[in-house]
Amino acid sequence: MEASSEPLLRLRDLSTDIALRRGTVHALDHVNLEVNQGETLGIVGESGSGKTMTVLSVMGLLPTGGSVVGGEILFDGRDLRTMPAPELRRVRGVEMGMVFQDPLTSLNPTMRIGAQVAEPLRVHQGVSKAEARERAVEILRRVGMPRPDKIVDDYPHQLSGGMRQRVVIAMALIRSPRLLIADEPTTALDVTTQRQILELIDDLREEFRMAVILVTHDLGVIAGRADRVAVMYAGRVVETATTTELFRAPRHRYTEALMRALPESAADGRLYSIPGLPPDLSRPLTGCRFAPRCRFATDECRTTDVALTGDGHKFACLHPVAEPVPITVSTGHHRAAATSAADPILTVRDLVKEYDAGGAGLRRTAGRVSAVAGVSFDVKPGETLGIVGESGCGKSTVGRLVAGLEPATGGQIIVDGTDIATLDRRARHHMHRKVQLMFQDSYAAMNPRMRIDSILTEPLEIQQVGDAAARRARVSELLDQVGLPRRALERYPHEFSGGQLQRIGLARSLALRPRLIVADEPVSALDVSVQAQVLNLMRDLQGELGLSYVFISHDLSVVDYMADRIGVMYLGKLVEMGPAHQVVRAPRHPYTQALLDAVPSPDPGRTPSPDTTIRGELPSALNPPTGCRFRTRCPLAQDVCATEPVLEGGPHQVACHFPLRQEAPAA
Amino acid sequence: MTAPHEEEAPVRGMWRQGFEVFCENRLALVGVALFVLLAAFSFLGPLFYQTDQVHTDLTKVFLTPGTDGHPLGTDGVGYDQLGRLMLGGQTSIVVGLAAGLLATVVGTIWGAIAGFAGSWVDAVMMRVVDAMMSIPALFLFMLMASIVTPTVPMLIVIIGAFAWLGPARLVRGEALTLRTREYVMAMRGMGGTGGRAVRRHIIPNAIGTVIVNATFQVADAILYVAYLSFLGLGVPPPAANWGGMLSDGLSDTFSGHWWLLYPPGIAIILIVLAFNFIGDGLRDVFEVRLRRR
Amino acid sequence: MTRYLLTRLGQALVIVILVTLITFVILHLLPGGAARAILGKEATLEQIAAFNHEMGYDRPLWQQYAMYLQRLVQGDLGYSFQLNQSVAEAIWQRLPKTMLLSLASTFLAVVVAVPLGVVQAVRRNRWPDYTINGLSLLAYATPIFFMGLMMIILFSQVWPVLPPEAPQGFTLAEVLADPAGLVLPTLTLTILTVAVYSRYVRSSMVDNLNENYVRTARSKGLSEGRVIVGHTLRNGLFPVITLLGMYLPALFSGALVVERLFNYPGMGLLFWQAALKRDYPILLGVTLLISVATVLGALVADVLYAAVDPRVRLKAGRS
Repeated sequence: MEASSEPLLRLRDLSTDIALRRGTVHALDHVNLEVNQGETLGIVGESGSGKTMTVLSVMGLLPTGGSVVGGEILFDGRDLRTMPAPELRRVRGVEMGMVFQDPLTSLNPTMRIGAQVAEPLRVHQGVSKAEARERAVEILRRVGMPRPDKIVDDYPHQLSGGMRQRVVIAMALIRSPRLLIADEPTTALDVTTQRQILELIDDLREEFRMAVILVTHDLGVIAGRADRVAVMYAGRVVETATTTELFRAPRHRYTEALMRALPESAADGRLYSIPGLPPDLSRPLTGCRFAPRCRFATDECRTTDVALTGDGHKFACLHPVAEPVPITVSTGHHRAAATSAADPILTVRDLVKEYDAGGAGLRRTAGRVSAVAGVSFDVKPGETLGIVGESGCGKSTVGRLVAGLEPATGGQIIVDGTDIATLDRRARHHMHRKVQLMFQDSYAAMNPRMRIDSILTEPLEIQQVGDAAARRARVSELLDQVGLPRRALERYPHEFSGGQLQRIGLARSLALRPRLIVADEPVSALDVSVQAQVLNLMRDLQGELGLSYVFISHDLSVVDYMADRIGVMYLGKLVEMGPAHQVVRAPRHPYTQALLDAVPSPDPGRTPSPDTTIRGELPSALNPPTGCRFRTRCPLAQDVCATEPVLEGGPHQVACHFPLRQEAPAA
Repeated sequence: MTAPHEEEAPVRGMWRQGFEVFCENRLALVGVALFVLLAAFSFLGPLFYQTDQVHTDLTKVFLTPGTDGHPLGTDGVGYDQLGRLMLGGQTSIVVGLAAGLLATVVGTIWGAIAGFAGSWVDAVMMRVVDAMMSIPALFLFMLMASIVTPTVPMLIVIIGAFAWLGPARLVRGEALTLRTREYVMAMRGMGGTGGRAVRRHIIPNAIGTVIVNATFQVADAILYVAYLSFLGLGVPPPAANWGGMLSDGLSDTFSGHWWLLYPPGIAIILIVLAFNFIGDGLRDVFEVRLRRR
Repeated sequence: MTRYLLTRLGQALVIVILVTLITFVILHLLPGGAARAILGKEATLEQIAAFNHEMGYDRPLWQQYAMYLQRLVQGDLGYSFQLNQSVAEAIWQRLPKTMLLSLASTFLAVVVAVPLGVVQAVRRNRWPDYTINGLSLLAYATPIFFMGLMMIILFSQVWPVLPPEAPQGFTLAEVLADPAGLVLPTLTLTILTVAVYSRYVRSSMVDNLNENYVRTARSKGLSEGRVIVGHTLRNGLFPVITLLGMYLPALFSGALVVERLFNYPGMGLLFWQAALKRDYPILLGVTLLISVATVLGALVADVLYAAVDPRVRLKAGRS
């Protein structure tokens, strides 16, 4: 990255407002940023921090009601705000390119891929139709599309999410832009696909010698890919530095808190959490915007505006971190293993679930989707079993089956010694007291027309627990347990933030005093700081109440933090199962290894080994591969893998003909 | 994005919130005002302005407005036009409301059963709806009206008996989507029954759509009465309705009796507009309540 | 695609059969039974018995229905003693004229409503949107015969440029020979249709303008016009094709009123006259035919939609 004299893009005191029905949100407040030729700038922040608004302001793509109200956007020394419209369109169309978050919706569904990719050429350079098509094929090949000459004539819905994101990238690149803006380009994708896409962007940056702005909420993504990082909070840049410097020695208290809140850095077995919520940007704010949530804030912080200061490493904090914070990517906190002598609260034997495919129409000839194919595990009292896997691996289906929401096609689910399939209606009804579910999106899981009061009372009513007074007392107790004020009872779900809703969701699952809670991605929709609050709460309550959890997540670091044991699922099967620290630090299945390698680590020093990258796409669960289902993508696969491997071993089991390591001797 | 700060946002009930949203839509308020005015005119008007709307008076036909104590003149058989407007309004409003209500109730029950039962019951019930919907409504109404003599209750039954198809489709669609909502799943995870899902979750969430649709049904029913009257199958005199008065007025157009034409025409337009405005306002209410932030 | 077509065709067939069942049931609900309804009030008991026997009305209901279906398949819709003509023949004379009126106003309505709806969507919540929306609501709230009358007053009385009555020709050619007379009926039906279509186009376009792919298109530096014409217009108009099918029943109802108002000798007028004279064979025949036309129209619209939208076309083709 040679530092040429003039930055390619410079934002000077950029301010952006968004007019809503009720008042104006000051989404950006005097944002200052620079991007140099050929470098990758990472912009990191939580939702509402203004990171996306910053790049949308640059691209002129602000949502309805949004407008840049102050400052300059200097691209190559020229202010985009004063540029005439046609010229501006040309600059944005030719010299900049943008990749969006959701590849499923960011392509025109009724336009052929080739036409969409080549459209900028046709518009800005007047290229002929035939040549445009050729160039589209060329660029699609470059971004790693298989059979690009066929795909140009396809429509978006015929491609997978990862492939569509490649198309969006190709579309941005066909103009050979000098600046590529990627707004959460991999958030909607699975980790293995995420890794492929991030690597692609890296390669292309060098090849096309462009600058890249990588916007993300994920510190891990930034750490591995960016040269410099800007941290945003509540519409402002609070800290900028080179990536190594920032991760080695963050200075702003918010940055520090954010890093400590990562599950990876939970050294002492407890996450550092940031109390409270980000401020409401439609109100006038004074002082440091993080002050209300900061443990180091003084009166001065609350009253004086703090500007970015420093040379190179700039930060806006009156009480910065003095000494470097060692980012300990924890080496495993070795939770005290649950008392393994007790009888398991849940035992699952050879669980199978199949669905009819293509249910529409008169005849159902399309076949059966094998969602869960012979899964066995058990959960001890007080234990947390983590289940990880990518989308479509069947982990959520397992959760729904265990919670009794759907009947299994085959196998046994034994709760507290009783096979639930043998229960009669009343006993089955009663069984729900023992197992409860916690959802990813608590807002969707709560009736929008019921007050929190009724929402929390509902399980008690259904199971006819206690009289009205007893139920009221129980609801108050639950609110105390999850740390919400009594006033919450009179309100409706839409009045709460995501983190608060997860607390209410947890309170509801606790209402019946269950012994097991199945938590399906309970923190996936939350920001890091709020995620830490919820995870801590879940662990505290587990200790207090002796709960067991089945914790389902796609996020290995979260599962690593929460679980005693981890099961890894791939395409309906458990491929590995063992104590959490062993599965994460000494995986035995090639898929687990690939999954771990794909997880971006918030440690800029660590580079993943390239040889374990898995290529290709997840096969369809309709007619899955025979034998080992991973063999079609496995780097180690041989003929014998066509026979099905058995999940075997001591405490650390693996279903693989060629396990990566032998089981570690029992400690 | 950001959550409301509990300390600052006052606790407000759902009705209150809904009311506020409704009032924000100025056209909805205009709609309510129009409806109140027209209803008061039709039902309370006769208390203050008494006229004979039963006996014809052939000595006083086609009096121009203002003459002989008839502010809006008289019609071809000597009825006082202003008084007749009041009488006609009663029929139009009553038939509209009753037929709209009937259609909504029948449609909701039909659609709900189809939606909850699913499988072949749903298929059969919805094909019946499809079939009836493919018969253009006015043709059906006329067919029915040619079989039975139209009286006010009969009109209500005839219109209600065929206008329920729209609500049926709507409610069935709602039931199908609401059934798969996560909060219904959450309730089942607590051991709740299907009956509880319907009572506590599906009906309260579907009711908004039904109410909004009902207001549009009323507007449509008022128009249908007008069409049937125009086609000669309205309520026979001495009963009256705005649609019938308007159709009668048509034949007088070219003789310059404008007072027989425009007042009922404008009255119909206003009442139909009123229900449309109210419906739009209610739609806002039910949507905004669900909107986060 | 083929499978989709077959499924859809099967559905249409089921609906048509159900429609015949409905008309059959209505025929038997008639006061005094079908015979009295068809022969008229003056018919003697002997006549009725003879008629019932001849038509098979003394047999079990299911047999009667089977015979009814059989006759329908052969194109026999019954006989109108009042017109002294077979129902099929009476309808056949008037059908083309009604089709002319309906198709012409549908075509005009699309031509007018699409630009209006697009302008509304692009300028949404600003004065062009409010104005057009207000006008279309007004048109929707006005009984169509009142609207027609206003047109007559305006264009035949105040400013006499057009005849107030539709052409009275017996054949389609004769009707077409008097195009001036067709203007007012067509326009009246068109205005109501425009009011419905433009609201639909607007909401479909608004939905599409809020889609993420529009943002992607803008990020390519396209002009706003190109974004709308090149990207949203097509996606926004696809659903309008299905609306054309869905709107048919309302269109035919509208045609009935317009034909009566302008005294246009189409199926609607035939139906109206039959209703006043209680000529049930005609009433049921027209009802049946117009329903079948509706089902077919909706079928054509759905198939057309599936053919132009790659999402439906390809998905249906693969599974």
